[in-house]
Amino acid sequence: MTVVFKEFFIDFQRCIGCEACAAGCAECHTHRGYPMVQVDKVDPAMSPQTSPMVCMHCKVPTCALSCPADAIKVDENGIVHSSLKPRCIACRNCELACPFGVPMIREDIQQMQKCDMCFDRTAAGKKPMCCTVCPTGALHYNTMENMLAARPHSKPINKWQFGNQIVETRLWVMVPHDVDIMVVDWPELLAGAAGPIELAVKLKERFPLQGFPGPQPTRDEPVPVGAGVGSFSDTEAEYL
Amino acid sequence: MARPSMSVDDYVEKYGPHISDLPVTGWNSKPEPDALVETHCCFCGMQCGIKLAVKDNKVIGFEPWEEFPFNEGRLCPKGVKRYMQTHHPDRILDPLIRTETGFRKASWDEALDLVVSKIRAIQEKSGKHAFGMMSGVSLSNEKSYLVGKFARLALQTRNLDYNGRFCMVSAGGGNKKAFGIDRAANTWSDIPLASVVFLAGTNVSECFPTLTHYIWQARDRGAKLIVVDPRVTPIARTADYHLQIRPGTDSALNQALLHELIRNDWVDHDFVTQHCKGWEELKASVEKCTPEWAAEICGITPIIIREVAAVWGPAKTSFLMHARGVEQQIKGVENVLSLINLVLTTGRIGRPGCGYGTITGQGNGQGGREHGHKCDQLPGNRDIENPEHRAYICKVWGIDDSELPHKGLTAVEMFEAIHEGEIKGLLNICCNPLVSHPDTNYLRETLEGMEFFCVIDFFMSETARYADVVLPGSLHEEEEGTATSAEARICRLRAAISPPGNARRDTDILLEIARRLGREKYFPYSEPHEIFEELRVASKGGTADYYGVTYERIEKEMGVFWPCPEIGHPGTPRLFEDKKSYQPDGLFHMHVTAYRPSFEVPDDEYPLYYTTGRSVFHYLSGTQTRRIKFLVDNFPGPVCEMHPKLAAKMGLKHRQLVTVETRRGAISIPLDVTETIRPDTVFVPYHWAEKLAANQLTVRALDPVSKMPEFKVAACRVRPATPEESVRLRKDYAALKQEADA
Amino acid sequence: MKELTRLSKMFAEQLHWGALAKATIATALLGVTIILGSRNLANFDAALIGYTFASLFAAFGIVYRYSVWLTKPPTRMYWRRGWQLFLSPRLWKNLRSPRILAEAVVRKIVVQDFVWHRSPERWAGHMLIAAGCVLAALVTFPLVFGWVHFTQGAITPEPTYIIQVFGFGVREIALHGLESWFTFHALIVASVLVIPGVMIVMYRRMLDTGAVAVQRFSRDFLPLILLFAVAFTGLLLWVSYEFLEGYFYTALAQLHAWTVIGTLIYLPFGKLFHIFQRPATLGIAYYKSHLSELEPACCPLTGEEYAPAVQTKDLTEVLHELDFDYSAVGGPPETPPWNEISPAGKRMLIGRAHSKIRNDRFD
Repeated sequence: MTVVFKEFFIDFQRCIGCEACAAGCAECHTHRGYPMVQVDKVDPAMSPQTSPMVCMHCKVPTCALSCPADAIKVDENGIVHSSLKPRCIACRNCELACPFGVPMIREDIQQMQKCDMCFDRTAAGKKPMCCTVCPTGALHYNTMENMLAARPHSKPINKWQFGNQIVETRLWVMVPHDVDIMVVDWPELLAGAAGPIELAVKLKERFPLQGFPGPQPTRDEPVPVGAGVGSFSDTEAEYL
Repeated sequence: MARPSMSVDDYVEKYGPHISDLPVTGWNSKPEPDALVETHCCFCGMQCGIKLAVKDNKVIGFEPWEEFPFNEGRLCPKGVKRYMQTHHPDRILDPLIRTETGFRKASWDEALDLVVSKIRAIQEKSGKHAFGMMSGVSLSNEKSYLVGKFARLALQTRNLDYNGRFCMVSAGGGNKKAFGIDRAANTWSDIPLASVVFLAGTNVSECFPTLTHYIWQARDRGAKLIVVDPRVTPIARTADYHLQIRPGTDSALNQALLHELIRNDWVDHDFVTQHCKGWEELKASVEKCTPEWAAEICGITPIIIREVAAVWGPAKTSFLMHARGVEQQIKGVENVLSLINLVLTTGRIGRPGCGYGTITGQGNGQGGREHGHKCDQLPGNRDIENPEHRAYICKVWGIDDSELPHKGLTAVEMFEAIHEGEIKGLLNICCNPLVSHPDTNYLRETLEGMEFFCVIDFFMSETARYADVVLPGSLHEEEEGTATSAEARICRLRAAISPPGNARRDTDILLEIARRLGREKYFPYSEPHEIFEELRVASKGGTADYYGVTYERIEKEMGVFWPCPEIGHPGTPRLFEDKKSYQPDGLFHMHVTAYRPSFEVPDDEYPLYYTTGRSVFHYLSGTQTRRIKFLVDNFPGPVCEMHPKLAAKMGLKHRQLVTVETRRGAISIPLDVTETIRPDTVFVPYHWAEKLAANQLTVRALDPVSKMPEFKVAACRVRPATPEESVRLRKDYAALKQEADA
Repeated sequence: MKELTRLSKMFAEQLHWGALAKATIATALLGVTIILGSRNLANFDAALIGYTFASLFAAFGIVYRYSVWLTKPPTRMYWRRGWQLFLSPRLWKNLRSPRILAEAVVRKIVVQDFVWHRSPERWAGHMLIAAGCVLAALVTFPLVFGWVHFTQGAITPEPTYIIQVFGFGVREIALHGLESWFTFHALIVASVLVIPGVMIVMYRRMLDTGAVAVQRFSRDFLPLILLFAVAFTGLLLWVSYEFLEGYFYTALAQLHAWTVIGTLIYLPFGKLFHIFQRPATLGIAYYKSHLSELEPACCPLTGEEYAPAVQTKDLTEVLHELDFDYSAVGGPPETPPWNEISPAGKRMLIGRAHSKIRNDRFD
């Protein structure tokens, strides 16, 4: 029996940060207790937005090419696998090179582990665990035809741009119809971020309306009268 | 006296909560399961289908149940990790009797003899009603029915109430007043057909994650999403209209919306005149409720109220849902009725894509509130004071009317009666009031003053620490039964395994106590399905009519929607298709809901709003979820959400330890500075106990109709934590992550 | 087999001349050593000629593949850095270098604690196989190449053998002692180690649901079958001459020879190549233990110190050599390339990029 691998879609806007994907992922027998899906709070001080990240399965995987041990392999279904255990020397190149921040190095077992699109399940005709449990459809596994019919307001694309680099992926992201490529323009998005001060300042000068802290809230509400009474000094602050 | 005989730290050390992340088989060699048991998740009213993987009478994991129509395999993290509770090292495996230095293990005989002798002693001395019972609706329908009958016929007390009093009663009260029936009017499958989805006071994405999919399905077809919430919840973040109102001002907003509907004539005149009662009075009542008036009260702009009215008013289809945000107030019932008015005015009910429903929070919050679990209720959602209803149930139970107690006290009133010494003993099952009751410091005093306190639970809940006797009961996955989901779908719960150690099924414990009280003739059951057979008959003719439902049908049809009055009746997924309500007159009753302020509003001394709620990683009082490492790691303990403007004005910093105070108590927790909350409000999730209990601060004020406490609104102030408070907090926080010995 | 055809095709298409030269030289050197070590083939056992040629082929293949491997930019970078650090005078001054090496050899090569962390049974299986293979290799190759042979020593009162290495007598051992028993039964001991090792590993591969999910026959079972065949036929040979008076001996010897030759030929291609590749882990140990003392790279978004700066800079160079260009567009010149943002920072920025393309509107 030949199993047809379907398409994997990520619809970032639907993510509610519940981590069901990660919880389900951890159950897998190939990585036992360690989730391979990573859900990040995008800007916790501003918004509850979260972003789920699984392996995008690049057509030309930066991780595999930057591996000094030749340990990362792509199979005939376009799935990029965890590093081969006998070869992997846990050097972290893949972790640092991946444009999506996906691979995870496990020092204890000297191996890079990553999302392999639930090879054990997809190869048996099932959906990946994260796509099965995701309560919102942010992670979704289906045929292209069904997806286009189900979500007419968005369009799946699989091209990303990081600076000068175009990356094509096996996975699709859902974007508005007028978008053809996911551009990640970090110089703008980084403006005002927590990194090296000089850089942050320069970026903020160049992109005053972008980056962190994000867009200013539309509502402008007064802080209640009396709330600031006895405004407290720094010396009293204690932290966990 | 039910005083704990060890320090809190010792209880935690000995009985948990400890966190564990180890499947019973360990991680390295998960074997093939013997069976995949199709059952449901225990962690909210959605009752998502899930398959538990079982090997050698142990739950070793799970598989998604993709065939189950509601969730098609989808789960939230609680559901995914739920199997880790079953064989958790903290499970209580023997009956425990309190000693001077903690608890000692006892035999069932000894423990039950003690319980029964204490019940007898109290009742002989102070009367039957001096012994009460508290229950909860994480119990199956069978157990809920049994508890109702057990309290009335075995304990012979009128004082039985349940934790739905902290959860569902305002919705039930509003629904009964408007529709004469207490359930969601539609199944969730109507949501995707709606062109407007209105969410009032419900953090769907955290409390009912799998329902989010239905809302997105509607949006995929172009539906607009309106969310009313003081916080930017994950679902509110993506809403087309987010009305970020002040806590406790919902009915003002709803009146203004109604005012706009009338002003623009977005009214289904045929429906309101022919099928509703009270339209003219209602119309007159909102004449002066302009958006400007409401905007002032609610702390939002009048423009957005008009915009929302313009989206809601002319829509062809719509679905309105509400939950605890509007219900847990002293105006809970009024808030619910004011929302129902918006639905009725537009006549969008009882048709495909035209829906209304409350989103039940607890696992069996729907079914558990239908069959005699409440102080004023008999099976089939009958009224305990209605002579006809009483006569029917007396006939089913084979008793005389004089043997059936009348209406008892509601939950908060019952604890107040205990506090005043009127009720002297309590049997508590499936409820952890030391976390979930408002004003927990008052509740602690109450528990301490009790003459005899018995708790049936699977873990040593914080409440159980105060018990004289703790009886080890069963989990959801250890007993057969049914539960009814928030869309009124009756689901089959299957026993995956039998209870571990000397723990017993809850049913068996109650039946044994009844037998020892000499009342076994009223409880001729050995298995839950026999209770269900009696429940069917007892519910027959009531509004919540289960008569046509059998285990076989539920299994075959993957759930049956009540009312299902006859064998062969298809069930009723959508109510009111004939435009008739369940009121005696068949009309939909509109009620005037004049705005009134909350019990406590901010003043100079306590200038901020205090509101509480849930996290997606925890369930109710956290007795189960605070023991699962994945969930604890993601949300270890409570934090105080505060807007950066307010924090800046007060000189408080992100992650700083602060103390939030109300007139009832104080809680020291870390500050979470985030734009997602109103600058005049702070939010604290409530899943934790003792010094980390958000309910130390809430008020005991009750809704006059439903007797629901006001969890959602209080007045508070915030200051930096003192060094002593900080030390205590760090210790409490560290204890939350104490790992279990494998 | 699919792997084999794929690889041979790759070989034909992209024959690497530098590697070819190195492999040829290495093979020739081995040939010369065989001739010299066996005293112009005087000590060479002609019956083992098949083994010798298979070994020469394996040597060629291994050196070829290793050389090709070292030309890959990331590998070259690590190779260079590894040696640089190993030889760095700074590390030799306080004897840090040999200590790092010793620790890495013990942990990564001898004890293999990381395999233990994967699971104790894997470790047990792998250690048995590894020990058996090393022992067998130490005995077989010198014998096959004629580097070691035995001559008779004293006949009375205690008969002895003399071990001849490269034609020099190095040690005289008693014929009936423990040492001689072990010397002449070393291969039996090796097979007794390898067979249970293979059994443990096979058992795991058949029952462990995680392993079953991702394993492939050619990659994971073929080497096990080869090792088992070598060990088992070798054991049968011993049984035949020790207990059955040489019953079926010739046929068994042929069979054993073929299994060994097959395994030798497979060495450069499949999973067993990791035996030669694995020592690279020593270089990494150097890199890591040394770099932990160096300046860290700081994520421009999260501010976390997520890796040693030398490694991230090296990686930028490697990616450039690999024809990736992750440099920034539109920022000031010091804007770091995408790969110099921490993994967590990248994920957060991707989330923000998504919000940006949606203009914070959703449906």
